[in-house]
Amino acid sequence: MGTESNRMWASAAFVGVLIVIGMPLWWKTTEVYRVSLPYDKISSFNTEAHYVTTQLNVLANDERTASEIIGLIEKTFEDADIIKLKIKKIILSEELQSKLETAASEHRSVEELANAFDLEQHNTFYVVQKKSLLQDVWLANERVMFYSDDKSSSIVVEVLKQWIYQTSVLLGARSEKADAARQTRFPPSNGYHVVLSIVQPRPDAIRVDFPTKEAVEDYIGTFVDELSVLHNFTLKSQWLYLLDFDFQATEVKDKTEWGRHYAVAQDRLSLLLTKLEERAATQVSELSTINLALYATPCEKAPLAIYDSSDRMISAPVPAFMSPKWGGVVLGSPSAADCNDEVPTWQPNIRTIMGAFISHLRKLIGIVDNEYIDGAFLEPLKSVVPRKWEIDNLLRIRTLEQLTSAERTLQSLAQLLGEISNIVINDEVGALINSAVENIRVASHLLGEGKLLEAYETSLIAFLAAESAFMEPSLLSLLYFPDDQKYAIYIPLFLPIMFPVVLSLKHLILWMRGKPIHKEKTE
Amino acid sequence: MSLKEAAERDRERSIIARTNATRRFFNINALYTALLFITWISLNSAVKIPEQFQKSNHTNNWAVLVDTSRFWFNYRHVANVLSIYRSVKRLGIPDSQIILMISDDMACNPRNPRPATIFNNAHEQINVYGDDVEVDYRGYELMENFVRLLTGRVPPDTPRSKRLLTDEGSNILIYLTGHGGDGFLKFQDSEEITSQELADALEQMWQKKRYNEIFFIIDTCQASSMYEKFYSPNILATASSLVGEDSLSHHVDSAIGVYIIDRYTYYVLEFLENVHPNSDKTMSEFLAVCPKSACLSTVGVRRDLFNRDPNKVPITDFFGSIRPVIITTDPINILEIPKRKRKTEKKTKIDEKRAYLPQFPMHLVQATV
Repeated sequence: MGTESNRMWASAAFVGVLIVIGMPLWWKTTEVYRVSLPYDKISSFNTEAHYVTTQLNVLANDERTASEIIGLIEKTFEDADIIKLKIKKIILSEELQSKLETAASEHRSVEELANAFDLEQHNTFYVVQKKSLLQDVWLANERVMFYSDDKSSSIVVEVLKQWIYQTSVLLGARSEKADAARQTRFPPSNGYHVVLSIVQPRPDAIRVDFPTKEAVEDYIGTFVDELSVLHNFTLKSQWLYLLDFDFQATEVKDKTEWGRHYAVAQDRLSLLLTKLEERAATQVSELSTINLALYATPCEKAPLAIYDSSDRMISAPVPAFMSPKWGGVVLGSPSAADCNDEVPTWQPNIRTIMGAFISHLRKLIGIVDNEYIDGAFLEPLKSVVPRKWEIDNLLRIRTLEQLTSAERTLQSLAQLLGEISNIVINDEVGALINSAVENIRVASHLLGEGKLLEAYETSLIAFLAAESAFMEPSLLSLLYFPDDQKYAIYIPLFLPIMFPVVLSLKHLILWMRGKPIHKEKTE
Repeated sequence: MSLKEAAERDRERSIIARTNATRRFFNINALYTALLFITWISLNSAVKIPEQFQKSNHTNNWAVLVDTSRFWFNYRHVANVLSIYRSVKRLGIPDSQIILMISDDMACNPRNPRPATIFNNAHEQINVYGDDVEVDYRGYELMENFVRLLTGRVPPDTPRSKRLLTDEGSNILIYLTGHGGDGFLKFQDSEEITSQELADALEQMWQKKRYNEIFFIIDTCQASSMYEKFYSPNILATASSLVGEDSLSHHVDSAIGVYIIDRYTYYVLEFLENVHPNSDKTMSEFLAVCPKSACLSTVGVRRDLFNRDPNKVPITDFFGSIRPVIITTDPINILEIPKRKRKTEKKTKIDEKRAYLPQFPMHLVQATV
């Protein structure tokens, strides 16, 4: 009897270790590690709910005009759910009125206004009455717009909607599908790498005098300095020699000093980009690269002109083209006089060429060019510096884009975790996700309050956190060890041990109930 | 012996049954096509269809070309993948948008009688290793990196040229070749990728909006098993063989001494050689490129995930490259020449000029003359 009970205790110990302790332990240690995530917050994201609040100050000479203008603006923006205007009515003092009216030019008026109001504040815009205007509406490069009187109120509203706030672009930044502007501009990032390449196919035949370093520093540097609230930029320049590209250009006779020009078909241009990419080595940077290239056409193929698909020459101050999310190219050609020199030397016109590059850069960064509105005058750009209200709008577009992108990324991640069970979420990824969720909440709140700069910064943090959470290399650690393979490994390992243990269970239970086990043996 | 015969007979019977089924299917298909044609004519008289093709809304093209097997006797797989590489490059996809993964370096293999070359034809007409081949991943780097590459979960120090930087407007061509089985593709000799893992990886790409459409080609044994588990939208998949079939190689080059190309890829290339960037060939022509008489295995196609009709998709949507170009005519007329405030550059001061001493220290010797 003693040996019997010893045996039973031994088998009970096996059962205890293997089934009571072992099985749960095994189950616990082999389960996919996942930090608890704020699923309810992620699923309650509504990308369509974000809106921007912005300050609009309406300045008028008298109460009636002010009310009329404000009434029309409020009515127009009433149903725009993407932008909420905080309108402040200000009646101009007699003194300021006369100063504005008597100012020699609109620029002087802007300066006068700058003395009275703070025009440097982000997300604030001034609509000011000035009776002595040639046009109905005059839009400055500062955050100021002049209008003549209440008859021009409809134009004021149009300008606000299409130029200043660009509501359609804002909606495009928030929408699921990319609109034309989003397809053109670079995806959001905390920094970009700008590379200016001078392409010199025939360094033996012509000398190109282009002060690359100064051009990048002065023109592009000044431009990007203004955008320092948005992104960091690294600037670089390089020369690419002997990069030969066959434009398959056809010679066309004309009446210029050359007596000819070479027609390049539009379809051919994209192949130049491929050729440039071979040599430009722009992938060395961690950041996404904005490529700018000046192609110095050799004398025997100069001057180049771009022809469109219906075989008509495209007239432009300088033949140039850009490729969305890639960069811009300027085709520079030396003049006939340059080529006929003893030592052919071409000194490119820096202002025109850099003007074309800055125009490309503006579009690639996300500044959308405005369409013409009848009766409104937009002060043309004279320098590389972007307009003040363009920067504000860029901040709005980017904030919305980053917010919605971060939300969509987190939602996709949450859905994936539901679909694919063996994705590990370690503490690091969990922290990233939590930080993204929190920053989205804060940024959305700040945006609603009209604190644009803070909202932009927070949304950028949220965007980067969400991106790196989704792209975290550790997410793949168990994807190579799916469930069926897990059982294929553990079952052969444990089955031989479990088999006798499970079989002895019956005996154990019988023994515990106090029933004799081996009847035939005892007999 | 008798058992083998029975099995042979069995297979024949099943083939006959299948052909009957296909014939019936074709009959129905013919009827259906006729009906469609009539409706098309009646429609056409009213509405003019402007283009022959359905328009694609992709904005860039990428290619991921993978050879998964090592060792000299797998020469043909390297030739396969390099031939496709050559074709897509010829049709316009730039190297920066092609990710080429090759397990072994056949060109430098000591058993290669013609070092630094790889041929895909016994006549040795085209050296597919010829002019600049940019291999992004090679050797043992491949194993884990394929899924990492697709999902974008690469280590942070990976250079941009080795990343798949696709976006919501990218059409991706994925070509895999190597040795496969039912439900897996062998990566070299120690790892494999299962069809489920591949399907999950593609789903993660879809969720992160990393593609617009994918054309998936696989040339392995039992290849169609790899795409059966796909569940993400906008994928068109084709395989060189069905489950239970072997994919066979095409021919031997007796000078090199190994099989140098697989059947399916051989016929694909024959087709692609006649495609040029402005070609109007369609995807359905591509899918029918290797009939059973030529391939000896049945080419499998999966089109239920794909939204467009392959008859109306030009082949250049996947094999060519699209690069939108916008002509700009509005340079900014810069009147104020900008001058950026320069940060004072730190230049190391050189105190003294250094020079080499004369070889013979004559200055130390007092002139005696």
